Amino acid sequence: MELRVAVEKNFGRFLLNADLSVRGKRIGIFGPSGGGKSTLVGLIAGLSRPDRGIITLDGETLFDSSSGINVRTEDRRMGMVFQRPSLFPHLNVKGNLLYGYKRCAPENRKIVFDDVVEVLNIGRLLDSGVKKLSGGEKQRVAIGRAVLGNPRLLLLDEPLSALDDSLKFQIVPFLKNACEAFGIPYLFISHSLLEIRIMTDQVLNVVNGRIVGQTTAEALVRSRMGDSMAGYMNLLQLSAPRQVDALYSYAWGGQQLFTASGDDRPEGLFELSSTDIMLFKSHPEAISARNLLKCRVVGTFQAGNRVGVDLECNGDGRLVAEVVRQAADELGIRAGAEVYAAIKSTAFRKLG
Amino acid sequence: MKNIICSLFLVLAVLVSCVVPAHAGEVNISTAASMRDAVNELSDAFAKKTPGVTFQKNFGASGAVAKQIENGAPADLYISANVKWMDYLKEKKLVVAASISIIAYNEVVFVGKPGLKVTSLKDVVDLEKIAIGSPKSVPAGQYAMEALQKAGIDKQLENKLVMARDVRECLLYADRGEVNGAFVYRTDAVEMAKNVKILFAVPQELYSRVTYPAALTIAGSKKADAAALLKFFQSSEAKVILEKHSFVTK
Amino acid sequence: MLGFTNADYSAILLSVKVATVATLLSLPFAFAVAYLMTYRRFRGRIALDVAVNLPLTLPPVVIGYLLLMLLGQQGLVGKLLLQPLGIKLIFTWKAAVIATSVVGFPLMVRSIRTAMEAIDERLVQVSRLLGAAMLDRIITVILPLSIRGIIAGSVLMFARGLGEFGATVIVAGNIPGVTQTIPLAIYEYASSPKGDVMALSLCAISICISVVVLVFHEYLGRRIVRRD
Repeated sequence: MELRVAVEKNFGRFLLNADLSVRGKRIGIFGPSGGGKSTLVGLIAGLSRPDRGIITLDGETLFDSSSGINVRTEDRRMGMVFQRPSLFPHLNVKGNLLYGYKRCAPENRKIVFDDVVEVLNIGRLLDSGVKKLSGGEKQRVAIGRAVLGNPRLLLLDEPLSALDDSLKFQIVPFLKNACEAFGIPYLFISHSLLEIRIMTDQVLNVVNGRIVGQTTAEALVRSRMGDSMAGYMNLLQLSAPRQVDALYSYAWGGQQLFTASGDDRPEGLFELSSTDIMLFKSHPEAISARNLLKCRVVGTFQAGNRVGVDLECNGDGRLVAEVVRQAADELGIRAGAEVYAAIKSTAFRKLG
Repeated sequence: MKNIICSLFLVLAVLVSCVVPAHAGEVNISTAASMRDAVNELSDAFAKKTPGVTFQKNFGASGAVAKQIENGAPADLYISANVKWMDYLKEKKLVVAASISIIAYNEVVFVGKPGLKVTSLKDVVDLEKIAIGSPKSVPAGQYAMEALQKAGIDKQLENKLVMARDVRECLLYADRGEVNGAFVYRTDAVEMAKNVKILFAVPQELYSRVTYPAALTIAGSKKADAAALLKFFQSSEAKVILEKHSFVTK
Repeated sequence: MLGFTNADYSAILLSVKVATVATLLSLPFAFAVAYLMTYRRFRGRIALDVAVNLPLTLPPVVIGYLLLMLLGQQGLVGKLLLQPLGIKLIFTWKAAVIATSVVGFPLMVRSIRTAMEAIDERLVQVSRLLGAAMLDRIITVILPLSIRGIIAGSVLMFARGLGEFGATVIVAGNIPGVTQTIPLAIYEYASSPKGDVMALSLCAISICISVVVLVFHEYLGRRIVRRD
């Protein structure tokens, strides 16, 4: 998918002036609330009209003020999922799902009903009215409805923001799987760095109506590490839990990790802050932390007055720790060095 | 805010009390609509002879007017185009029986556009729409209906008769061309018709004679001016005025 | 029953017929106007709003008179359009339908507009994103979601139509069997001495019809709520 946008729109007190060119399947749009993210996406979808500019998708011009081209929303073949599901109250779940599908030209119908229902696990809801569904169910149906429209580009405007945390990370796999399975490129808007990291590869940073940066998700997160008290959030996919005494023992990257929280589900997503990883130059003989990992420093990066440390732990586990500059100098932390990382079991937070 | 509300109430009170009270020397006349112009001229003539007297006039279909009097509308003198409505009020003891006297007669005619080929009741059957005063309350309509029934064509004219409130309205419809013709009094046709003319007179043998009884109401009998006015209506001077308006006085 | 004449039965049937036809005839136009006012910006919007609401503030007699001037023999539409085509509207039941439609139109438009304005704009946007063109989304989204307003508006117009007198009497006249609706029949009886019993009987019929209509409206309302 290739998207080029160069538009301007004046809202009186707010001026949107965006210039971007992206290529890829998982694009993020990040920025503070009120900064213009939703507005920008609304212009791309055709829901509102720029004062001036040009929008092209995969080479097709959707809007060009100089030649008067303005393709109608209904002809742009874009799907959109909003913060609130906005399901049609007068149709049941099946009716909602098929709304876009029916209006898709037969030759474009690559994504079909049964597949979507299966991926999103909404089979038993099909005959139900939409009022009785739970928040998560409604959002899954909304995703299914957008996907079944067989869009060329899926616009996701803070689709997880209205859900509570546990629900958020239940929906995330559905969303990822749906888009991956059906090969749909998407623009994912969020003000949450975590969601951006999970869902996107490249990120456009939108502040005050302008695109102030275009980086990879990873680079964005790392650059913000210095500004945030929470540091860099390591996202770890842990599996095969066992209960050992009062703790859970999960498998990760060829080794065992002990966490204070957990459940019986075979897989779990955990976050671990870089600020919670303590580094030792040599093996501490006795330590209260239940996790002690022998790691090799792959590299370091600057983030404000902190230093981020890329660690490789025993095989394929990768972690990012952070220390202040003096500490990095004192311990001689540089690429190739060997360190020990100590992590308390309580430092792991289960996401979903 | 309070000031505004107070002033509004004051204005309302003033308006309400501004009802002009009836004062001595005022006579209320309720008459059949067909007598409008004649009664106006008659009352003007009377006023010249009797200074200080003023009139409140109410014109309408005799039946409707009788109903108003029954319901308490102020009236001193009642003139009907029909003996029936006068008898109705007589029964209800709303008029002074002894004062009832016939002051004029009229004829029913059929009017229409000058070029219309209608010369008798038979021709009327072929028209599309005909205006007639509602027989339920307009004597002109009752007389016309009586004639239609006697001539045996009332069933054929079902769905073609447009009911009017009074004779004036009949003429209006005919004048405007919304109906092909109308049954009206000769007096009205002569005076008021602009674009239509009398095509034929309904044969008198088909309907009872149009009679105008006049009487004092109970309220009117207490007023000297009202009684004097009624007497004036019976005078020869009045007869001259009535005949001028095409009424028949014998 | 109750001593009704043929003309009286005609009046009852005619009232129902005129009110029903006026309601059905006005529906598509009222829906279109409500849609334009809710979803479109255009010059002359205010003028349209005023024109549509005018009958609400004008005495029905004025409306009747204006219609007469427009559609009668000497009227603009009458002279230029109706007479050449041989169409006669004045003093026919069609004129009664027109008078009723004009008088009730603002009521219907208001009802439908209220319902339309309550529709979440997001739903219409979603339907566009899913590929629905204008007519499509009107039929599949806007119409079903404004059905409550449409029904309420229809009931209002029907009830108003049953009671229409002022405009009707001028433009359709009082022709028993042809244009004499219940209100006109009652008026005639009420002007006639000894007509009180008949007038009251017709009033009773009028009330019965209104009650039936209101009960039906309630029932429809409940059914829709249950379906939701």
